[in-house]
Amino acid sequence: MDVFITGIIMGTFYALMALGLSLIFGSLKIVNFAHGEFFMIGAYAYALIAINLKIPLVFVLFSVVFIGIILGVTVERLLMRPLYQKFTEWGAMRDEYAIIITFGLSLFLMNLANQIFGPYPISGPGLRPLRERIMIGDIVMMSSHRIIAFGVGAGVLIIAILLVRYSPWGKVIQAVSQNRFGASIAGINSTQVSSIVFGISGALAGLSGALLCPIFSAEPFVGALPAVKSFVIVVLGGMGSVPGSILGAYLLGVFEQFGAVYISYTYRDTFGFLILILVLLLRPQGIFGEKAREV
Amino acid sequence: MNTSIDLRSYWKKCRQVIEEKRALDLIFSLMSLLVIAILPIFLTSAYWHGVLVVAMFYALAAIGWNLLGGYTGQFSIAPGAFCLIGMYSSALLVHYWDWNPYLGIFMSVVSTATIGLLLGWICLRLRGPYLALTTIAFAEIIRGVIRFSYDITRGDLGLSVPKLYGSGVGHLDYYYTFLLVVVIVQIFLYFLIKSKIGLYLQSIRDDEVAASGRGVNVVWWKTFAFALSSLICGLAGGLYVHFIGLASPEMGLLMNSGLIIGMAVIGGMGTLAGPLVGGLILHPLSEYVREFGVQHMVVFSFLIIVVVRFWRAGLYGSLKNILERLIFHG
Repeated sequence: MDVFITGIIMGTFYALMALGLSLIFGSLKIVNFAHGEFFMIGAYAYALIAINLKIPLVFVLFSVVFIGIILGVTVERLLMRPLYQKFTEWGAMRDEYAIIITFGLSLFLMNLANQIFGPYPISGPGLRPLRERIMIGDIVMMSSHRIIAFGVGAGVLIIAILLVRYSPWGKVIQAVSQNRFGASIAGINSTQVSSIVFGISGALAGLSGALLCPIFSAEPFVGALPAVKSFVIVVLGGMGSVPGSILGAYLLGVFEQFGAVYISYTYRDTFGFLILILVLLLRPQGIFGEKAREV
Repeated sequence: MNTSIDLRSYWKKCRQVIEEKRALDLIFSLMSLLVIAILPIFLTSAYWHGVLVVAMFYALAAIGWNLLGGYTGQFSIAPGAFCLIGMYSSALLVHYWDWNPYLGIFMSVVSTATIGLLLGWICLRLRGPYLALTTIAFAEIIRGVIRFSYDITRGDLGLSVPKLYGSGVGHLDYYYTFLLVVVIVQIFLYFLIKSKIGLYLQSIRDDEVAASGRGVNVVWWKTFAFALSSLICGLAGGLYVHFIGLASPEMGLLMNSGLIIGMAVIGGMGTLAGPLVGGLILHPLSEYVREFGVQHMVVFSFLIIVVVRFWRAGLYGSLKNILERLIFHG
């Protein structure tokens, strides 16, 4: 039971990461390899603001979200614009451009953080004192920071899903991810939508980094693991499918905890990759994805 | 009648120009390697000899990746993993069964070619982001397996391996060995790219459907490119491990793959001399930058972003344009 609840809690943070990645894949059909670095920057922003400015943590979380939005929109503005034009020099190598540019961005942000902050982990304060525990029922005991972070994460996740589902902006995002060209004929500014999507994804990844910061500590390479997990999730749930990635996140969160406890702790990350390759080979559309002709 | 003869002679002339332009690549890369060959006369510090050996290792790996990424259009993010496989397959054989290092390097070539063939076969149906994700997963699995098999590979501690020419020799022997290998690989690739096979590979990059429509066996040539590219990376890894004398899983880090890909991209993708120039210039540059206390990866990844975003021809690509204008258009 303890393992299961830990899995659900981790699953929520994975879902926050995977949702952004999935939205980006939906609207642009690219994989953002720099997603883990959004997480890393969120963690750093949380730790540094909370330690240096000493403002209430709610405002810190808000400013992290703000920084995430700015980061996402800037990345889209500076680097993603050529995706909408037709390439001449590289032929039709649009996917390849996106892979290299996001991969390069990931390396850049990682090493820039290493250069500026050094390789030492910086830990932020917990939302509640980190030692404090809460009993759930009779046997399960959790640190209260984890519970509150889980609450905040789940709340934001639900709000984000509702926004994507029902708000006018969300409808626009859905339209673009269904058919970019058709949406632009219907009068939707698809470039702007990409900006919004990148902003949302940056905000979600940054928030998840901020919430996990007291547990994992901010360090330059902290983003690699969550990023890889969100790739696995997004593939598992079907590329670009929002419900698929949420379900995939919880599945992975729970499986991983059980695997780490019952199978092998050292190989637990390797299992994730094995899942990724197997899903890509056997069921490339994932759990909920639509079947596309070209994979 | 007359016009058809004209056309034929026109085509002949065109072909000739294309051939000459392609030869320019080879001549340029051989000339830059000649510069490397005579460099030790002026540069006598053993440290810089070592740096250049490592630079040639990276150049070799980048050349291998360029065959797959630049010419065939399959963006694998696993060149570092293949170097790692090459390193360990030689290191393990030499360490446990006392094989001759030459035989070990040969076996690392064989094993990487086999694994490359296998990975290429797995990745056949995948393209774009899916291919990149699969190769990342493959690279991380390989690194994880090697890191966590403590009993055999000693994990992060690394496996010490005898050097190729014994321990008392300076860097210059390795220097010329690497140089020879790079020259051979470069000449081989020139003839490969010139032949029909090279055209098959490039047609797959430009338009896979059209290529298969014209009778190119896309399945086979993609696997072939995967195998050959990983073979070159494995050769580089096998040579490298007997130069530094230590096999450690650090080579398989995604950052190293990024380094190799970045060298090919900054040098100029899809050109023969591009990755060579990229490797030979960028690695010494990053060593130089390190002296100022700047992380070399910061500069490096920034360069990758700028080149891919604004200057897609790369170093050699732009140089080639200038040279061609000078030579062929007066």
